Formats: sequence, structure tokens, C-alpha cells
Amino acid sequence: MTLLKMDGITKVFPGVRANDRVTFDLAPGEIHALVGENGAGKTTLMKILYGLYRPDSGTVSIRDEAITIKNPRDAIARGIGMVHQHFMLVPPFTVLENIILGRESQTAGVLRLEEPAREIAEIMRRNGLPVDLAARVEDLPVGLQQRVEILKLLYRGAEILVFDEPSAVLTPQEVVELFKTFRMMRDQGKGLIFISHKLDEVLEIADRITVIRRGQVVRTLASREATKPLIAELMVGKPVFLHVEKAPASPGKVVLEARQLRQRSERGNLVLDGLSLEVRAGEIYGLAGVEGNGQSELVHAITESARLEAGDIFLEGRSISQWDVRTRRDRGIGHIPEDRHRYGLLLPFSLAENLVLGQHHRRPFVRGSVVDSGRVRQYARESIEKFDIRTPNELTPAHALSGGNQQKVIVAREMRFDPILLVAAQPTRGVDVGATEFIYQQLIAARERGKAVLLVSADLDEILSLSDRIGVIFKGKIIREFRQEEATKERVGLCMTGEKQSA
Amino acid sequence: MFSPILGVLAAIVVLLLIAMVIGEMPGKTLDGIYRFTLANASRLATIFSMAIPLFLAGLAVAMAFQANVFNIGVEGQYFIGGLVGAVAGIYLRLPAYLHLPVVVLASMTGGALWAAIPALLKVRMGIHEVISTIMFNNIAAALVNFLVNGPLSGRGEKSLEPQTLKIQPTALFGKLNHWFNALGLKVPRHIYLDYSLIVAIVMGFLVWFLLYRMRQGFEIRAVGTSLEVSQYAGIRVKRVQLTAFLASGALAGLVGLQEIFAIRGVYTFEIAAGLGFDGIAIALIGGNSPIGVIFSSVLFAFLKQAGYGLQLYTAVPNAIIYVISGLMILFIVVINEVTTRYIRALRRKEAA
Repeated sequence: MTLLKMDGITKVFPGVRANDRVTFDLAPGEIHALVGENGAGKTTLMKILYGLYRPDSGTVSIRDEAITIKNPRDAIARGIGMVHQHFMLVPPFTVLENIILGRESQTAGVLRLEEPAREIAEIMRRNGLPVDLAARVEDLPVGLQQRVEILKLLYRGAEILVFDEPSAVLTPQEVVELFKTFRMMRDQGKGLIFISHKLDEVLEIADRITVIRRGQVVRTLASREATKPLIAELMVGKPVFLHVEKAPASPGKVVLEARQLRQRSERGNLVLDGLSLEVRAGEIYGLAGVEGNGQSELVHAITESARLEAGDIFLEGRSISQWDVRTRRDRGIGHIPEDRHRYGLLLPFSLAENLVLGQHHRRPFVRGSVVDSGRVRQYARESIEKFDIRTPNELTPAHALSGGNQQKVIVAREMRFDPILLVAAQPTRGVDVGATEFIYQQLIAARERGKAVLLVSADLDEILSLSDRIGVIFKGKIIREFRQEEATKERVGLCMTGEKQSA
Repeated sequence: MFSPILGVLAAIVVLLLIAMVIGEMPGKTLDGIYRFTLANASRLATIFSMAIPLFLAGLAVAMAFQANVFNIGVEGQYFIGGLVGAVAGIYLRLPAYLHLPVVVLASMTGGALWAAIPALLKVRMGIHEVISTIMFNNIAAALVNFLVNGPLSGRGEKSLEPQTLKIQPTALFGKLNHWFNALGLKVPRHIYLDYSLIVAIVMGFLVWFLLYRMRQGFEIRAVGTSLEVSQYAGIRVKRVQLTAFLASGALAGLVGLQEIFAIRGVYTFEIAAGLGFDGIAIALIGGNSPIGVIFSSVLFAFLKQAGYGLQLYTAVPNAIIYVISGLMILFIVVINEVTTRYIRALRRKEAA
């Protein structure tokens, strides 16, 4: 018996066949990974399953019964649940309130809490998902918030669970826990669909793997017979070199120095607690750590401004604390922001405008105060060519591009301004294998040209393969630094949890 | 593209329905509108004449909107701007070729200065401009009332309403009607197509050039699109918003030019009120672009004229026009949404 079968699904958007006769099935007690580049059609397929899109043709059946899913409510009633990349939780509510939200029961208008609490406790025990029900969601770390999301689905009786890049926000240790839960759910006969860009994880946890490219299923294979290069090749359509080749670093003078930075959040917690680090010309310094340990605050302090309680930041020996963003950019700080939609691009503006943003006030893009649009467009065409940005032309609005290409626009912009320090925050988050490979090459090329690169990433593999030195940030300070050759996934990963005395 | 046209048509249908309820047949209602708006060159010219201050008001609001600043204070800014301009027109002795530009600049300065206080309150202290500009509208009305009745009162002038002294002939705006007549367009002598038309055209072009051809305009549009991205890119967001706010105030200062310098020749407390609020609707319908505002200001002038026509020829009250302009905005927004969805659906079908 199959738990879920999606047969011959076709979905066409203007100018693109997002899904082209896609067939996908899921057995009870199976973890089935769905992989593919950004824009390959994974998300479209899952949105169809969740009732957010209607397929143009094709059928969906659950337990061999053909069904139509009109909306997410329908999907939930059919036992389909989805853990989104962005959590759908109410931060000031408690864990219990969040879980029962939408399925509350009441007696004479009074919310019933004990019964659900007992029921949820049982679900937590069976699936290895302990969480304090009375805690407020906003006080929980990301890993626990994700558990709350999973509990919500299980409490609603989900049999088919979709996970959209669940490990992107977790530490290696949290991923281990998550996978334990995956296995427990599988052993109870549930079906799991696992979407991920991390091929190691896919190979570790999935029973079967389906690769999608340009809207079509390239192949479905058992993970026993799969290897990382094989999957990558199927995804991209050509062999991919996942291993990063780079020569040993030859670091020069100190470009960035952060000295004893201390900063409090609005609530008064110390978010930077005496943080110090140095990044030299011609090296990539990787900042490893679980999200929320001060990375964003550090990046903010370097690139924008910070109300530092103590400490100072120096660029080539000059204090930057009095400089505004424009001055910092003019003096050579480039920044690939962690949330490209929120910070990186003016989505309704053309690529040409986006490619000069931040330098748009300087020659040769303006003459006096008048924009030289010929120059701007010429420059944009060069960037598009050099950075292999896939777009009809330079006047296309940024929102029309795929995620990977949008990220390339940002990388192209920040690289071509030729900064002396490049702060790259999550440069490949949500970016497909092909674009990731390209961005890696660009970061290394920047290093070769003598730039100082500060790489902040939640992806430990990325940190390990790119960085010449690695600093582990924990609770607002660097608790240990590794040279690349002494860094292993286990040692750095353990250190990220605050364990200083790693072997 | 089509939504404004459809919105207007839908609003007219509603107007006809309301008129029928009141007891007027659609034919008579339409005839009333037609006779007062499109029937002859004189009526048409009136619409364009009325559109001039509306265009400037819409342009002023649009300027601020582009930078995500909600300047609800155009109303007060043109009261003050007009008064400052009038003072320059009354008390300065200059040859006409200097006096005319001086009164225009004085009006702009007055409008900008009146906008400066809420603008500074916004960027320095984070006080929301919607609240402060509404307050400043009231203050402006009271201040103008006081000045016209007191220090600037033109006692001795024979008039029933409080007003200033007469503006010097060198600062008065002449008519351009003969230019149109030379082009073969019959514009009767009593219609005001005056120098303020030139001011409006020049300002429309300058705003367009600023927004789409200049670096400062790029920054204004960037700030209006996303504060976060602008900050990230090093744009000095507060300075940009301050600039846009002041520019908006300066444009607002020009709204009263036609009435003060061409029609009345004095400043009075009785100058037309409410144009600042019309400006908000005009900017909205015009999509905050100088070109869009041309069309929406003409549309508004048409509606106002239509209202007078209804008043005169039918039992439908003039006030109905306020209902209709409100409905029009609502329809345009709704139709815009519906048509985008419909077009999206069509494209999908085409592709399949």
C-alpha cells in the first residue's frame, strides 16, 4: 500500500513548467527525500500537496483513494502536515497554547488545557520530542521551536509530514536529535518527506531519494545505491565539484579588528560579551556557532552601527564606530546580508539598479547628481556576464529571479565594488548546489586577491571547507579558535554547544 | 492600466443608481454632467483650469509618498506658502520679470518651512508625520486667520471678507488664453489658464526628472520601497526623508498660486480649502507618478465640475461628488486587484 501517491502532476506558471508530469510516492514508515536545485519545482510540488496550488493535471491519492486538496485546511484534515522554513508560531504564547491553537476544545467557553496537555505529553514521549509546555515560545531556542512545530502536526494527527530544510537552523547536535525523532516517527508508520540541500544528511536519513530538475523527476533511487557526487550530478545535470580546492592562505596585515565588544539587547541581555577577533588580508575567517549567539549583532556592529556598551572595531587600524553605513561602504566594507529579501535587494527595481545599489552615488554611475543610466546598464551587463546571472536582461526586476540568481546579484554587487573587507553572512542559505559552488569560488577568489573575508554561516560544512581560521561564537564571545587543519566537524560542533574542553 | 478607467465607469454607474433613487432618470443625470463638463470648449477649459492646483497638490503628496512619508499637511502648507508668497507680492517692489519668480519661490519657501517642523519632528524624534501634519493644518488655518485679520489685514480695502492689501500688479499672474487661441483652441476670456499652468508643467517635469533621472530621486524611491534595504545600502534614510518632505512642502506652497495671484489678487482667509486632501486621493489614483497625477488631477477637476452640473440641472445634490470620488478610489483599488489576478490566471491558461 502506498500512503501517498502524486501521479503525473503538471503545473505551469507563466513562462515556466514548474512541475512536468511529476510522479512521487511515499510508503508508510518511509523517509523520502526530495532534492533539486532552487527553482527545480520541489516547493511547487509541496504546495500542491498542501493545497496552496491546484495542479493543471495529475492526481493525488492517499491510501489509494484519489482526492482533491482545495486548501491547507483540507490537507490537514487528510493528515498532511508541513514544517515550514519559517515557523508559524505565536511568539508570546506558551508551547501548549501554540500546539492547541486552531484545535482548541472548551467547556462552556473556558479553554480546556489539562486533557490536551496529557495527550501532548504522550506524543512527546513516543517521538522523543521533550519540550516544556509552559515555556513561552519566544524564549525557546530555534531547535525547540521546531519541535513545537512538529508537535503541532502530530497533535493534529498528521500521517504525512513534510519538512522543508529543517536542519538549516540547527546545530549538528540538534540535527542528531531531529533525526532520532524522524526515525521514531518512521517506526510508527508515518511517512516523511524531507527537503534538503545538504546531501550528507539526505544520504544519512532517507530511505529513498527523488531528484527533480527543471520540473521533472530525473530519478528516484534507494539511498543505498546513491552517492553524493551522483545526486549532485543528477540535480545539476553535469558533474559538480563539491570539494573546495584552495591553496594555503598567506595572510597579510590585520584588516578587521574587533576588540572587547560588549552590547546588550533591548531587553538587557548581553548579546556581545567581550568579543574579540581579527581578520587578516588574504584569509577567510569562519564564524561558527548556533544561530542567536551574537552573530547577527556582530555583523550589524561591523557593517551598520552599534550602540556598543564597550569595545571598538577597527578597519586597517582606524576606529569605525563613528562611521555611518555609507562611510563604511565607501571605505571598503562589503556585506552580503543574511536575509537577502529583507536587506539585500530592492525587489521591484531593475537588476541594473540593484547591481549598483550602495555605490549608486559614486562615479561613474552618476555625473554630478544625474544618473548615467547608460553606464549603469553597461556595468550591469558586465556583472550579469561575469557572475553568470540567469536573467532575460539587465532591466528585469529583481523579484522575477530565482533565489540562487538573486543571491548571485548580491554577491556580484558586493564583489565588484572591490571591498577590502567582505562580510558574508549565510551566503549560500537557500541557494542551490550550482550557485553554491559558484559563490564558494568567488569567496576564495576574493581571498586570493588579498581581501579579508569574514564568513558567518550556520552550515558547518561550509565553514569547515572554506575557512582558513575558524572562531566559535557562543553567548556573545569567541570561545575558541581553530586553524583549518585542526578543525573537524565533531570538535567544532561540540565547541558550538559551549563545551570548551573539546578533545 | 485599465483599472482607473473601469473604476471611474463603475463609480458613474453607482452615481446613476443613486440619482435614480432620488428620482432623476439616468439620461437627465448624464446630460447634466455633460453640459457642465464636455459640452463645449469653455467647459473643457474650465476643467483644465481647475486641474492646475489639483495637480500641484497631487504632485506634492506624491513626492512625499515616494519616500514613504505621509504628508497629510499639504493643506496647511499651501495656506502658509500662499500667504508668504502674497506678502512678497504685496510688499516687495520689483520689476515683473523678477517679482513673478520671487513670489513663486516665496510660496515654495513658505510651504517648505511649514513642512519643516513636522519633518524635523519625524526624523529627529520619531513623531509620526500623520499626526503632526494634521495638527499643523489646524495651526496653519488659525495662524492665517489671525494674520489676515490682524497684522496683515488690508484695512481700507473695500471688501466684506478679511483680506490683505492688494498684490502689486508686477506680481499678478496673467492669462495664457491667447496662446491657446493662437493654437486654434478657443479658450474664453473668463477662464483662468494663467502662469500657474507654466509653474505646474515645470514642476511636473522637475519632479519626474528628480525621481527617475537623479541620484537623489533613486534614493527617494529606494527609501519608499524598503527602509531596511536602503539602510543596508548606506542611503542616509533620514536625510532622504527630510529632503522629500521639504520638497513636498515646497510643491504644496504652490497650490494657492492660481487663486491668489491670478483670480483674486489678494490673500484672503476664504481661499479654497480641502485641496490638500484632494491631493492625497489624486496622488493615490495617479500611482504617485508625475504622469499619473496629470490624469488623476484632470479626473478630479472633471468630477468637481460634474458636481456643479448635477446641482444646477438635476435634483441630485453636489455633495454626491464626494461620495463618488470616495467610491472611485475604492473601485480602482479593488479592480486593480481583481484584474491583476485575472491577468495572472489568463497567462497561466495561455502557457498551458
